[in-house]
Amino acid sequence: MTALALPSGPVVRPNALPRLVRIELVKLTSIRLGYGLLAVSVGLTLLWTILQASQAGKANGPEPLSGYAGQTSIITGGVWGLIFAAVLGVTISSGEFRHHTATLTYLATPSRSRVLAAKAVAGAISGAVFGLAVYIVTLAVGLSFVAGHGYRLAIGAGTLTDWGFGHLVGAALLGVIGVVVGSLVRSQFATVIGVFVWTILIESLIGGLFGSVRPYLPYTAATALAGTPLGSANFGPSRGVVGVSALPFAGAAALLLAIAVAGALIAFRTTIRRDVT
Amino acid sequence: MATIRIQGLVKRYGQVTAVDGLSFEVRAGTVTGFLGPNGAGKTTTLRMLLGLVTPDAGTATINGYPYLELPEPLHQVGAVLEAASFHPGRTARAHLRIQALAAEADESRIEDVLDLVGLSGAARRRIGGFSLGMRQRLGLATALLADPEVLILDEPANGLDPEGIRWLRGLLREFAAEGGTVLVSSHMLAEVAQTIDSVVIISHGRLVAQGPVTEFTAKGDDLEDVFFQLTQEAVR
Repeated sequence: MTALALPSGPVVRPNALPRLVRIELVKLTSIRLGYGLLAVSVGLTLLWTILQASQAGKANGPEPLSGYAGQTSIITGGVWGLIFAAVLGVTISSGEFRHHTATLTYLATPSRSRVLAAKAVAGAISGAVFGLAVYIVTLAVGLSFVAGHGYRLAIGAGTLTDWGFGHLVGAALLGVIGVVVGSLVRSQFATVIGVFVWTILIESLIGGLFGSVRPYLPYTAATALAGTPLGSANFGPSRGVVGVSALPFAGAAALLLAIAVAGALIAFRTTIRRDVT
Repeated sequence: MATIRIQGLVKRYGQVTAVDGLSFEVRAGTVTGFLGPNGAGKTTTLRMLLGLVTPDAGTATINGYPYLELPEPLHQVGAVLEAASFHPGRTARAHLRIQALAAEADESRIEDVLDLVGLSGAARRRIGGFSLGMRQRLGLATALLADPEVLILDEPANGLDPEGIRWLRGLLREFAAEGGTVLVSSHMLAEVAQTIDSVVIISHGRLVAQGPVTEFTAKGDDLEDVFFQLTQEAVR
């Protein structure tokens, strides 16, 4: 029996968060879902990038690969990695309720805010892996097509590195947002569908109808981090953008971080505290 | 001395009062049966005791503290609440590894508890392919991983075959004999009657009776008959 004088509320030891993050990463790597999502995002990116590169310079296709704009549109096109990073983030949190594992998680770690924080960090790490993986694919495909056509690479090594870092950061932040959304809406199916509907349909519609707000939409801001020209990561007729610029790197990162923090605060005030029945 | 103390616990879900001013104690080193018909409030009470459900009133403590304030909860309390609380795509060993990390328990305990519950041969299998009885055994392995002082089990015999139920009885008796405390809920008295020292009977969220089993059977009554008599009186 313990005879310690204990404070009220869940007891958290100083080194708790790194251990909790490790637990979340072990959870993630001990099932097939994460590997499957990574494979699908890499596969889709490969297919999408090859299709886009082969259409470059043609009617309704990207700009010609001989120039900066065409090369940029291919190499910064790892949008599927960003979307699937958010989907993975959703599964990290909502999966606990889908499979009723939240009971064991909260028995082991009664501090629910710490659990959410650990999941957010795990979402960021796994999202970063997704972002990096798809960037390697787009870079390889882009460079191959440019070299294959005998064109000169119009983009400097520094810019290519920045875009790689941007893919990593953008996917990491969308991974965090995915975790937060998954903790707000416990239905995994609805939330995963919601991620696709939001990124593919709603942002395209809102961005097309209200051009001035487009840079502030979360998926669009994440693609801005990845170096994607504003609008080219959207789907459907709203791809073309006139008179609006993408947010600068710091602004886009701050916006996504603010969305994640605001969502986490709402989740902690509402769904996280709910009874686990 | 009481290890588990429930005092004036109340939980309402809308118009329904699931637990209604419940109070009882569980003494250290005993196996206590927590009995009641389906819907009596047993699971809700156990979840409040474990900090998963917030009570509307009252307190529930283990070793003098609410579960949320225990510094190393898994080293003090092992719980089995539902047989389905595992990711179906994870192997039994991976599940226990995660729990060992969470409890900061030695990973060598994984093989010990797998062996204890008879799942060593299934350690590399995905839990989605487990029978209900195997999941119950894995739940017990999870609960025992950090060598806790207290076991809280919600309907642990569900899905176990007769041999499994016999094995469970032996496990609980041995745990109590070594000084551990067990609170085991059930709506099937026959499964626990031979195992328990004390009994807490509830109905409609209220305490109906509490005491050593010998008190209820002193007049030669069968414990099951006493249980039905008490719970039916409570309904009236």
